[in-house]
Amino acid sequence: MIELKDIERYFQTGSLKTYVLRYVTAKILEGEFVSIMGPSGAGKSTLLNIIGMLEEPTAGEYWFLGEGVHKFNERRRAEMYREYIGFVFQAYHLIDDLTVYENLEAPLIYKKVPSAERKSRIADLLDRFNIVAKKDLFPNQLSGGQQQLVGIARALIGRPKLILADEPTGNLQSQQAEEIMSIFQQLNKEEGVTIIQVTHSEENAGYGNRILNLKDGKIDA
Amino acid sequence: MFKNNLRIAIRQLTKNRTYALLNILGLAIGIAASLLIYRILRYELSFNQNFSNSERIVRVLTKTTGSENGDQTSRGLPIPGMAAIEQSISQFAHSTRLHEDWPTITIPKAGGGPPLKKISISQSEISFFAEPGFVKIFDLTWLAGNPETALNEVGDIVLTRRVAEFCFGKVENALEKTVVMNNNVPCIVRGVIEDLPSNCDFPIFTLASYETLRAYASLYFFREEEWGSISSNDQFFALLQDKNQFSAASSAMAQVGQHELNERKKKRNLHTSFVLQSLGDMHYDEEVGSAGTHTISWSRLWVLGTIGLLVLLMACFNFINLATALSTMRAREVGVRKALGSNRNSLIAQFMTETSLIVAFSLAVGVGLAFVCAPLLKHISDVPDTQPFLSDPILWLFLAVIGVLVTLLSGFYPSLVLSGFSPIKALRSNLTTAKGGGVSLRKILVVSQFTIAQALIIGAVVTISQLNYIREMDLGFNKDLVLTTRFNADSIGLTKLATMKQRLLQLPKVEYVSFSSDLPASGNTWSSNFNIDRRPEEPDFHTSVKLCDEDYQKTFGLEMLAGHWFTASDTVKEYVVNETMCRKLGMAPEEIVGKVFRLGGQSWFPIVGVVKDFHSHSLHEEYEALTLLPNKTFYSGIGIKIRPGDISGTTNAIRSVYDETFPEQVFESEFFDESIANFYESESRFSDFCKGIAALAILIGCLGLFGLATHAAARRTKEIGVRKVLGASVGNITGLLTRDFLALVLLAILIATPLAYYFMDKWLSDFVFRIDMKWWMFAMACSGAVLVAFFTVSFQSLKAALANPVNSLRTE
Repeated sequence: MIELKDIERYFQTGSLKTYVLRYVTAKILEGEFVSIMGPSGAGKSTLLNIIGMLEEPTAGEYWFLGEGVHKFNERRRAEMYREYIGFVFQAYHLIDDLTVYENLEAPLIYKKVPSAERKSRIADLLDRFNIVAKKDLFPNQLSGGQQQLVGIARALIGRPKLILADEPTGNLQSQQAEEIMSIFQQLNKEEGVTIIQVTHSEENAGYGNRILNLKDGKIDA
Repeated sequence: MFKNNLRIAIRQLTKNRTYALLNILGLAIGIAASLLIYRILRYELSFNQNFSNSERIVRVLTKTTGSENGDQTSRGLPIPGMAAIEQSISQFAHSTRLHEDWPTITIPKAGGGPPLKKISISQSEISFFAEPGFVKIFDLTWLAGNPETALNEVGDIVLTRRVAEFCFGKVENALEKTVVMNNNVPCIVRGVIEDLPSNCDFPIFTLASYETLRAYASLYFFREEEWGSISSNDQFFALLQDKNQFSAASSAMAQVGQHELNERKKKRNLHTSFVLQSLGDMHYDEEVGSAGTHTISWSRLWVLGTIGLLVLLMACFNFINLATALSTMRAREVGVRKALGSNRNSLIAQFMTETSLIVAFSLAVGVGLAFVCAPLLKHISDVPDTQPFLSDPILWLFLAVIGVLVTLLSGFYPSLVLSGFSPIKALRSNLTTAKGGGVSLRKILVVSQFTIAQALIIGAVVTISQLNYIREMDLGFNKDLVLTTRFNADSIGLTKLATMKQRLLQLPKVEYVSFSSDLPASGNTWSSNFNIDRRPEEPDFHTSVKLCDEDYQKTFGLEMLAGHWFTASDTVKEYVVNETMCRKLGMAPEEIVGKVFRLGGQSWFPIVGVVKDFHSHSLHEEYEALTLLPNKTFYSGIGIKIRPGDISGTTNAIRSVYDETFPEQVFESEFFDESIANFYESESRFSDFCKGIAALAILIGCLGLFGLATHAAARRTKEIGVRKVLGASVGNITGLLTRDFLALVLLAILIATPLAYYFMDKWLSDFVFRIDMKWWMFAMACSGAVLVAFFTVSFQSLKAALANPVNSLRTE
């Protein structure tokens, strides 16, 4: 599904190149649950952003579902987000001005899903995550764990093939973290969704089936 | 503390350069525009203040009420009426009769021959025959001569500095010298006065004694007995003994000459009387006019003032909007400062310092802009370059008031709101701000700002359409390729006219030549009573009169409705009247031809033709009943219709014929279309003014929108990032941001349109010949505003939409 070949990412200040990522080569198959680990500043988030097409590598090739991402334009990327990729953020990044229901609806509107189907899909997810009662609340009226549940629900609502999660439990208590991770595991096993997460915690990494260790911008095999 | 505040303020402004620039520019433009308008108002309101007695000076007008065309007022008086006024009104300390004249002054050469020097009055000047009372009423600055005796005798003349210096080099040399007025009237210079200031309705060229007019009565067609003839040339001014006597003098005036004025008006409801007007109202009476270059109505001054205020208000709203938008971005800073122990007052002081700094900058830039643009004013107003600007103390007061008001309004609100934040809340809010008062206030301001802009734009579209309509209207005569010039002819001069016409017609490019008293369109009015068909009672209205020769119709392309133009004659033998005359008399054009007609108390002659209505006065006025007749002794103008091609050669050839015919006179020619253009100059300038204001309104409005769109995009950075990773396209995001603003603009349009309709409808009703407001005018103004707003906002929105979401989604 994902193929990275000699991905590099550096910042140039004068003649000095500061590498964030160096010669990253990796293959991720459909249905995998990969955890990217490593110390702070190793380039985990940058790698995830590159996989999520939010950042472009300075050098190297990235193939997604057999297509060269480096050839994608803005519009094609937006299409990828709509069709294949769901994001889960550490800081949840829900839209403050929208209710839970409206937050879930936003990606479906961009996907041009008809109204009736939107309703049923949202109802399904609200039910599944046990947040039906919260649907008319605004994000700042929810606890962190509840916000992240909404965040995951929003990532799932477009039925993506790939979920990218950047420290999804970083801001949560351990009990809520466990809950979120088991949801990920369940998604991966039962629905075959590919998941890539960045995490600090060995425990969280244990939910997945492969670990990519990054150190100083390189994959530590 | 203050120094510290100032340093932080300067740092803030340099950091937010775009905001600071938009803020300063928007406010500066508003201030500059209002300053320029202030300058116009100040100039127009300063008129005639140069006379120390200005509060006691009055003039007498002739007012006729009860006519179907509404009340009609003229600055002209029948001359016997003046005598009656002099005898009856006890409140006058001094009074003077005036007779307007447009002379040429020459210095004769001893022993005859062409004169040594000649100078003609310019279009913007006026000369008077005046009684000695004139110098008592109007305090002129005397450079030479004795004011007490300068206008006593036949042939006494007073020159202005300009004329004296032209003729004699030095003011001192002029006294007791002989000059010739109008080539016929020898005069002795009895005094020299300083040129009058431009903000005065008496732009005097020369003053001659009234006795001179009496002595040369036949030359000036001066008849002291005619009650029925009212010419705007004959006027009456007086000085009240005390300014409180105005009402007493007014009521006394209402009784004067009642019998004589209304003798011929048997129809009951028509009534003519003399009315008093104070000098202070003269410059603002567009209907009656003055001897000055222009008048301006109070309503136009109000319009100007209102526009100035609105533009300033727009700029202030803009400023307040941007300032509050900017300061809410600093909620976090407020939180930190509060957590560090800053109290509310010091925060307010901090924000106020910043605001006053921007306001001070804007004022400076605004004054600079106004100063640079001041010379442009003469294209849209009558303000001359000599009008003092920065030396005007009231201007500085005006600026100070603006500065304090804007600082308080735009600084106080945000500083109060911000300083009131609880520190924890302010710290938590990352980039986004709480909803509430701030947002809705901002929306109200944007809507009001755009309402003003929209109303101004609609106003401009309607005004420009109306003025274009007037300018391009069928005037009823052909104004193209007619060269006009004037002459002063005595009885000898008049004998040369026939030869002159023959010589001009021999020029290859000259088609027609016509002599007349007036051009088809002119500001002069001469009206008279008349009778037709030997009716027992004269018709209850006056007719305007134009005196012209047999080629007038062909030269100016007038259209005949019935009959034919009169045949060549030096005195009246036949009359031509216009369409309106027929209508008012209730007769068909064919019917009126052949009827006998009499002007004033003169002899009966037949009407031989009816001419289609043409605009003989300003288009503000309706068509008047008009009588045209030949009378050689009154001719003072020449109209020459030429064929296209070699215009300068033809003009030169005409000049040499003129110079040979009238060696002592100055040839000054003007094409008729130019003089028509001058006639509507104030309209055309007002139209330019409207264009400028509309452009300004759009500019200021857009500066504000641009700033707000920038702010909105910044405030919603996170949201935009999130939406993008959810798959929103650039179009979705741009639409999201643009939609909010367009809704506000549409709301503004909704409010502005009926308002503008109401006021423009009122404005249009002042015009006799006017356009109907069409839906497309509103549609044009609205779509213009929407389009411009759309482009302004979407520029910022597009920028925000194209930004990489990764930057906004970093976890802090």
